[in-house]
Amino acid sequence: MLGKLMKHEFRATRRVMLPLYLILLVTAVAANFSTRMLFDSRHWVLTTLGTLLVISFGVAVAGVCVMPVLLMVQRFYKNLLQDEGYIMLTLPASIHQHVWAKLIVSAAWFVVTVVVVIAAGCVMAFDIGVIRDFFEGLWDLLWELRKLEAFYAFNGVGYLAELAALAFFGLAAMCLQFYAALAIGHSAANHKMVCSVGAFFALQFATQFLASTGLYQLSFVNWPGWQISGMAAIHVGMLVALVCVVVYGAIFYAVTVYFLNRRLNLE
Amino acid sequence: MTVLSCSDLCKNFGRAAALDGVTLSIEPGRIVGLLGPNGSGKTTLIKLANGLLTPSAGSIEICGIAPGRETHNMVSYLPERTCIPIWMSTGQLLDFYGDFYQDFRRDAAEEMLDHLRIPLTQTVKQMSKGTREKVQLIMVMSRAAKLYLLDEPIGGVDPATRDYILSTIIGNYNPEAAVVISTHLIADVEKVLDEVIFLNRGTVALQSSVDEIREEKGMSVDELFREVFKC
Repeated sequence: MLGKLMKHEFRATRRVMLPLYLILLVTAVAANFSTRMLFDSRHWVLTTLGTLLVISFGVAVAGVCVMPVLLMVQRFYKNLLQDEGYIMLTLPASIHQHVWAKLIVSAAWFVVTVVVVIAAGCVMAFDIGVIRDFFEGLWDLLWELRKLEAFYAFNGVGYLAELAALAFFGLAAMCLQFYAALAIGHSAANHKMVCSVGAFFALQFATQFLASTGLYQLSFVNWPGWQISGMAAIHVGMLVALVCVVVYGAIFYAVTVYFLNRRLNLE
Repeated sequence: MTVLSCSDLCKNFGRAAALDGVTLSIEPGRIVGLLGPNGSGKTTLIKLANGLLTPSAGSIEICGIAPGRETHNMVSYLPERTCIPIWMSTGQLLDFYGDFYQDFRRDAAEEMLDHLRIPLTQTVKQMSKGTREKVQLIMVMSRAAKLYLLDEPIGGVDPATRDYILSTIIGNYNPEAAVVISTHLIADVEKVLDEVIFLNRGTVALQSSVDEIREEKGMSVDELFREVFKC
């Protein structure tokens, strides 16, 4: 059932995301063309056109980055808590499956968006002198780093992997925070959206408060005989942050499922 | 086996009681009119049967099971307003219902859509309000469910569409199933009903067969309704 829910969720979201990706790639080609050709023109119309095309690329990048977040919130709200909820929540699927389907599809679009934005950046930068110099410099840097010890190379790759995992789980937890806030707000009898916004800020405040209190308390903890290198300390810090993100994501998930299961109040 | 049963069912919204101690049972093979004025608790009862609301007290069961994922397989539900996603084409709607319900009869749905000359490529967004309601009803009635819960299926549509909707219900429901039609347009549905339940301010005012009403009280359901709910 989860697979079927995901299939229809992809079908509902791709009709928004795919045209956006296409627009981004077209503007990337146009921006590349203007940077290489139009900016050298002496005619003000062509230089203005070139500037506009580069700006449109910037706007398209911003739009493509923002849209998966908006879509993630909108799909949960409209598909489960508005009229479509009467159809969706009477399907032979559990609330867990509904939430997972939305979460997995949102996370997939986040990942695809990162890939497409990088690809669009490469298209935009193709065969442009300054950008080529930048990549050549980066390549030289990596070539020099190759001479360093394997210790640094492994740790560098480790940091990147930890950072990517932290970003991925952080985005998933952010989705769940939105879901939890909407589920709480829509259990109210009236002013559901206002209550949802209030619930979001309350959850945000609670998370920030617990995180800052935890960090503050950590400074008082004495770790007798526990000496680690600076490099290892960064790894430990990243892993602790990862566990914290997973834990607060799990709490938001539990809140969402509880409110949809027990306190659902569709109008 | 009783298809739908409620025992001392209560639902409160804040201090207001939408349902107050409702006890009733509906047997298979019956078309039941859930009748009552606006605000009598008809929609609340149907939502509770679908698990869209949770009871404040008492119990409600579908074939002996509390509403939930398992009962959603047995119940075909028509909400009081059009809820099908408007971006979908009718072809995608058929895929959707076919994917989620094993009892969905795609051929029957396609035949009804063809009869109405609705192409599979047309999106719900492109349809008129009446056509959307017909399409939603076609999806609901194309299932071979054990219980059909139809919330105001003829509210807000023209008389010709009402006739189409009623003939679609009669012509397509599973004869071993129970059909519950919630409405306050009694005169239009009376001819298809076997049984009626009158709801008044969240309580059951009457549960009786249509034949009993006609024989014992000597009046039509519409006349009895007007007498019971006289303002």
